[in-house]
Amino acid sequence: MTPLLEFDQTSFCYGDRLILDEITGVVPNGACVALIGPNGIGKTTLLRLAAGTLSPGSGEVRLLGQPLDRLKQSAIARSIALVPQNVDVPFAFTVEQIIEQGRTPFLRMFGGLQAADRAAIEEAMDLTDTRSLRGRIFNQLSGGERQRVKIALGLAQRPQLLLLDEPTQHLDIGRQLEMADLIRSLSARGIAILASMHDLTLIEGTFSSVWLLSPEDDLRQGAPEEILQPELLERAFRCPPQHRSVLEERIRGRRERVL
Amino acid sequence: MARQVTQDAVALASCAEERRFPRQGLWVGMLTIALSLAIVVSLGVGAVGVPARKLALALLGRESLTADQRIIVLSLRLPRILAAALVGSALSVSGLLFQGLFRNPLADPYVIGSSGGAVLGASVGVFLLSSVTVAGFGATALLGFVGAVCSILLVYALARVHGRTPVVTLLLAGFAVSTMLSYSSYFLEVLDRDFGTGLRVLASWLHGTIGQPTWGQLTIVTMMFALGLAASVPLARRLNTLSLGEEYATHLGIHVQQTRIAIIVIGSMLTAAAVALGGLISFVGLVVPHMMRMILGADHTRLLPATALAGAVFLLLADTVARTIIAPAELSVGVLTAFIGGPFFLYLLRKTKQETLL
Repeated sequence: MTPLLEFDQTSFCYGDRLILDEITGVVPNGACVALIGPNGIGKTTLLRLAAGTLSPGSGEVRLLGQPLDRLKQSAIARSIALVPQNVDVPFAFTVEQIIEQGRTPFLRMFGGLQAADRAAIEEAMDLTDTRSLRGRIFNQLSGGERQRVKIALGLAQRPQLLLLDEPTQHLDIGRQLEMADLIRSLSARGIAILASMHDLTLIEGTFSSVWLLSPEDDLRQGAPEEILQPELLERAFRCPPQHRSVLEERIRGRRERVL
Repeated sequence: MARQVTQDAVALASCAEERRFPRQGLWVGMLTIALSLAIVVSLGVGAVGVPARKLALALLGRESLTADQRIIVLSLRLPRILAAALVGSALSVSGLLFQGLFRNPLADPYVIGSSGGAVLGASVGVFLLSSVTVAGFGATALLGFVGAVCSILLVYALARVHGRTPVVTLLLAGFAVSTMLSYSSYFLEVLDRDFGTGLRVLASWLHGTIGQPTWGQLTIVTMMFALGLAASVPLARRLNTLSLGEEYATHLGIHVQQTRIAIIVIGSMLTAAAVALGGLISFVGLVVPHMMRMILGADHTRLLPATALAGAVFLLLADTVARTIIAPAELSVGVLTAFIGGPFFLYLLRKTKQETLL
């Protein structure tokens, strides 16, 4: 069976700086993958490659067997939704108007929103619990509300794969846990997820597998308990050895709570 | 206790933030009526007054005007009124387009130098190529369009920093470019071979005066305006998507570069149309879209028809005041809009500073 998304020896350079070196990995249908790695390793770049907004320098990214380079961007956006870290909007758009933008890849040249588009928007608001925010001004929302609205925009695209760039960044602990709940519920509905995550403690119990990008090694893929090992993380994140206990404490503490 | 207070504050804040924008159709209807009324009133006022009631009845064919009244109303006032409405509408719509393009509510055809470019282009037409016509369009209108496109491309290239257009760079680039362009128009005076005519035209352009257009001029400008307005319709939805930023819009399947070029071309055509009749009229493209945004919200598809109508009403009223306030002398409408728009611009600038628009 052709996988939903496939990186095949994908490399990417910004200028002459190599960011991603021959990445190979597969996101199967319905998978829920956390993407981790140190700052600047190329997590956002990898998500952009997956969304088709960047083209690989060499190698391919394939959606259901088709190279993204050969698909129209609107066709990609009907299957893959990218939720970026920051969205800044210059005017006072309402939440509903922001979410409507998710239907852009489905609209004709001169057409407006149809009944099917409305239905997708309503469903996206239900899934993210943003219906009560629809009349609010997007720029005036709190961090957690903004994050939910951005995900609703992505869901309005009715994607098979949702790409989340640091969905828990700048959120307080309560909102972080809500975000983890949301990711679980979306995954349970069969939407595949690839999310870059900074906070390692939120991964177990939410994601079914982890991709670890590290400076020296190839992309390492596995179940959370395989990847979230102190030795691996220490090397990947270049943690000073004297802080080993802190790292172990974090992971173990989390594991005990889960068990 | 403290907790109660915070909860109340949160509840209060969320009440204040909830916005229900009125129906678009209602405002379009109201503005259409306002425009019709403004036209009738404006036809009646001036050195020779014709009561609005009589005029309305005459328009309905129930009463007849005297020959003098007929000449004054139909041959003198009507072209000017149509010109004012067209200019106001074209400037407002191009302001709306440029604000969406720059993602910045301060972008106005005058502020960002597009009007200045159109004046320079049109001046070249008047001074050097006054007898040339291409496909029925005078060289003046075409060169005005070319001037507007070039100047906005220049400002756009100068003002963009990392894919954004910060207020500071936009204003500085716009100021520098439009100053250079306006003074370049003066330079053309030296080359004037016609002694006088071109000079008067240039002076009225730089003051922002809606003169006495011929029906031929009105026809050309109306065609440019209609074309520009029709082409803006499919752009309005794209402007909403562009508000999310270049990368996001690209992801959603918008061809960002093509859309930007289309906005520049269409906005410049509307600017050139406005400049051909009224010259440098400042801030209309800033005030009108902003007022409409306060009433109808940020959605460009809702804003476009309302802005086009409101711009026509606004400038028609302003021009009517300008030609009657110090009668028998006339004020340039550009002077009036500068007095209205200038403070408004400063207010917006302060507001922009506070919000995270920089």
